[in-house]
Amino acid sequence: MSQLLAPDAVRLGLRASDRFDAVRQSGDALMEIGAVQAPYIDAMLERERQMSTSLGEGFAIPHGTDESRRWIIETKLVFLQFPDGVDWEDDTVSVCIGIAAVGDEHVGVLARLAQVLVVPEQAARLRGAEGIEDVLSILGSPLEEAKP
Amino acid sequence: MMGTILGSDVKKVVVACEAGMGSSVLLVSQLRQRLKDTGVVVEHSPVNRIPPDVDVVVCHRGLEARARGVVPDKVVVPFNMFLGDPAFDRVVNAIKEGGPLQG
Repeated sequence: MSQLLAPDAVRLGLRASDRFDAVRQSGDALMEIGAVQAPYIDAMLERERQMSTSLGEGFAIPHGTDESRRWIIETKLVFLQFPDGVDWEDDTVSVCIGIAAVGDEHVGVLARLAQVLVVPEQAARLRGAEGIEDVLSILGSPLEEAKP
Repeated sequence: MMGTILGSDVKKVVVACEAGMGSSVLLVSQLRQRLKDTGVVVEHSPVNRIPPDVDVVVCHRGLEARARGVVPDKVVVPFNMFLGDPAFDRVVNAIKEGGPLQG
């Protein structure tokens, strides 16, 4: 798959004290891989305060605001796994997929994520992934045709 | 204000979210795939930049008021859950069957 989600952007076995700590870690990871400048991380926290980015099935997709696009250097994703789970309003989140996007290049990966999350066993496999390759192979496999 | 449109009159559906880079992106492909034989265009957008030529806006309940403020005369269908919300079925069924869609 493309370098939208690169091996060094997949981080397993992390811990976070709360939801905002997890969002900050997602932002730090985006900055480390050269996707964003520092103010984007504050925008991610602001966006999270406005409305939770939790999707269900233990996944959240923290990202900035429309205005904060100017702090994005390149469209990239990060994958942060918190095996102990993080309290997230009414939910418990085990995976944050941090997003920095200026264009539409990430539509395919997020579409694949949506497909994975509607099949509980696949979602569990992704939450419990033990290696970076597992994550990349699950999210990088081609889209399946929708069932009629 | 709620409006109604016939599914058969829908040409463009926009999935909106705050930034236009997260949940709307996640949902747009699913809706596009479900509507692929209908000729309906499905796009995603930040809520403040919903294009005026939209027929139906789909967005999270928390953004419904803002969406209605941007396109007051259009049908806005809110959803509560990102995964498996019946609102998506309501939009898809109305378009496929041509019947009325309220929102």
